[in-house]
Amino acid sequence: MSSILAGVFKKAAPAAASLLKKPLYQSAGALTCKRNGATWFPDEKFMQVYESPVMYPNEKTSDFVFNTKVFPEEKDVQNITINFGPQHPAAHGVLRLVLTLDGETVVRADPHIGLLHRATEKLIENKTFLQALPYFDRLDYCSMMCNEQAYSLAVEKLLNIEVPDRAQFIRVLFGEITRLMNHTMGIGCHALDVGAMTPFFWLFEEREKLCEFYERVSGSRMHAAYVRPGGVDRDLPLGLMDDIHEWITKFGTIVDEVDNLLTNNRIWRERTIGIGTVTSEDALNYGFSGVMLRGSGIKWDLRKTQPYDAYDKVEFDVPIGVNGDTYDRYLIRMEEMRQSVRIIEQCLNKMPPGEIKCDDAKVVPPKRVEMKNSMEALIHHFKLYSEGYNVPPGSTYTAIEAPKGEFGVYLVSDGSNKPYRCKIKAPGFAHLAALHHMSKGHMLADVVAIIGTLDIVFGEVDR
Amino acid sequence: MSVYLSKWRNLSQAIKQRGGIIGSILHLYRTDDLKYGDLVGEDKFGNKYYQNDMFFIASNRWVDYAPQFGMDYDGSQIPAEWHRWMHHMTDDPPTVVPPVNYKWLPLHKENKTGTAGEYVPYSTTRPRIQAWQPPSKA
Amino acid sequence: MATLKVFSVGRTVAQTLMRQSLRPLSTSASRSHWKNISDKPAEDTWSDITDRAANIVFMKEILSGLGLILGQTLKEPATINYPFEKGPLSPRFRGEHALRRYPSGEERCIACKLCEAICPAQAITIEAETRSDGSRRTTRYDIDMTKCIYCGFCQEACPVDAIVEGPNFEYSTETHEELLYNKEKLLDNGDRWEPEIAANLQADHLYR
Repeated sequence: MSSILAGVFKKAAPAAASLLKKPLYQSAGALTCKRNGATWFPDEKFMQVYESPVMYPNEKTSDFVFNTKVFPEEKDVQNITINFGPQHPAAHGVLRLVLTLDGETVVRADPHIGLLHRATEKLIENKTFLQALPYFDRLDYCSMMCNEQAYSLAVEKLLNIEVPDRAQFIRVLFGEITRLMNHTMGIGCHALDVGAMTPFFWLFEEREKLCEFYERVSGSRMHAAYVRPGGVDRDLPLGLMDDIHEWITKFGTIVDEVDNLLTNNRIWRERTIGIGTVTSEDALNYGFSGVMLRGSGIKWDLRKTQPYDAYDKVEFDVPIGVNGDTYDRYLIRMEEMRQSVRIIEQCLNKMPPGEIKCDDAKVVPPKRVEMKNSMEALIHHFKLYSEGYNVPPGSTYTAIEAPKGEFGVYLVSDGSNKPYRCKIKAPGFAHLAALHHMSKGHMLADVVAIIGTLDIVFGEVDR
Repeated sequence: MSVYLSKWRNLSQAIKQRGGIIGSILHLYRTDDLKYGDLVGEDKFGNKYYQNDMFFIASNRWVDYAPQFGMDYDGSQIPAEWHRWMHHMTDDPPTVVPPVNYKWLPLHKENKTGTAGEYVPYSTTRPRIQAWQPPSKA
Repeated sequence: MATLKVFSVGRTVAQTLMRQSLRPLSTSASRSHWKNISDKPAEDTWSDITDRAANIVFMKEILSGLGLILGQTLKEPATINYPFEKGPLSPRFRGEHALRRYPSGEERCIACKLCEAICPAQAITIEAETRSDGSRRTTRYDIDMTKCIYCGFCQEACPVDAIVEGPNFEYSTETHEELLYNKEKLLDNGDRWEPEIAANLQADHLYR
């Protein structure tokens, strides 16, 4: 259509030009009076100028000054750069994100980290193996006992000791309670960031009860220091397992309610489907783990592939996504909560009787009754709480499936009572590194959704 | 119907326990809540402790701070004997199972921060070095 | 070591063949427990299309969600009215520190300095002297409550149950200085909270 029009205009142009070139009074005069003088008509030479496109400057027309105005000089146009955080409530802590925006589209997302750096790894080098434990609570402060579990498993591997069955089941039980704690917080805050406030309150009500379970078993609502090298700190108090059982029977309803509210909701789907898509190849190349990896369809879960503690004694399914977008990862987290409930129930049913610490008196401090009655136990108590225990030289990389992904501890011991080196592999760090890749080309508001789905906690990213 | 009647009964009982309409309004102003329960006991300061298991756990025990505190009530005004019961560590109030009582136990003190009675740290040891006193000219 | 040998053989033999033959011998857990949670792709049958259209037009999920929320608003609120009502705690709760005394009134702490040694945050400072009656007691027992990480190692380490983390958590202060506890303050805490601390230790003594 446009080509035909162009053709018509091309043909019409000379005629129209000739009409216009003729002074107006002349054409007007043609109607009113007749002057029998010589009249100029466009000749062939004149028309040659219009053979080519008129406005295109050729040798002649390039000298013309069309306008008395001076043309503006060419300028460098820069995209707007904004700081997202570190005090932004949707930045999940102290993330400072330097965003380069083209209008509302993200061109570059540059995370700046280190605002919560506490030199944990270096501090651990100056602490005994027991003293280093509370520092792990404070790494990923949304999944405390999982971090302790990773560290305890690493130390146990170096010490070459086996943990009693009951301690293993308690660890799995509280590992899954921790997973629920993390996912209730993760999904709640994610939904809150995207604009759905209600699930946040419902899930935090449940999280409060989980905190109370933590408090009953360890004495602290968050920073438990409960899972120790060689077992767990104290046995489960009487009645706790009944209460956990009563709670998990009700928790499924809460997950279903959140499910009803979010999963099919058109706003939620619009905000999450196709947002922050990661292909399985990219997920592997960026070093993703946990939910981020499974969302992209890669079947990898350390609880299944290399079971630690009692995970090989419980049955559960691992949810896998296909699309690798935010929505699939949300679905995975919901399903993981249901599977966690399943694992907790099995742990409660299978909980074996027996000891909760291994019986190596050189590693595990004695019970208080023994300590008060036996001189030998008292000496052990003093040795363990002052000097600590010596760990044979060696190194280990021990990883567990923390709620956020693979949480690994690379521990080197030189045979003394302090770790020679402790490198912590935090899942959030690798996830945050891919933030630019995931949010490029998305809207500013989608960055918030992507940060929510990454489920990053700065305690572990900054360490 | 009986559900609504019981709600009305609860409200009227709560008002009755607070000593009529005026008392209820004053109580509402102070605590933002109006409910009735069994009086479990009273401590040395005059704080009254109530229980009503109609409410869920954590809401089923409450304290009515003594009138002497006015609007300056604070969570730390609950003494240790009742603290344990208030926080659901035990189901036995100190009136039923009396706690240990030594003659050296002091009276409970609330958190005095921000007042004249606040704690000011000081050293509990003798100074190990004697500061040099410049000899006075006079 | 034997598995390592098998795998090193695997490099020379055709890889796929080796893997196939090794699979039944594998000791790793069964990998069949995977569950696809992704949405199934929409089908193009008439009933499906009309269902979807109806859901969109009648805002099914929005209205059902609103109904759910309406139901929740009619429920009893889950919040508690602090400070009149208080949340549950357990006897193991690790709160404000306290130095205890024996029933006779004599202080328990014997200045063994185990708590000082185990404290990961190095929040405890102890100095000791022999008293005039010949017993060893502390002259300085300072805890910097702002350094403390409330791990509970001090009360675990204490051989005489002198330093404990009591049940009190309502000790927030307006200045930093007020949280630098000295021995007098800790003993005073112990005296005030003794009825509760003793009961809590008694309640948990079987587990410790």
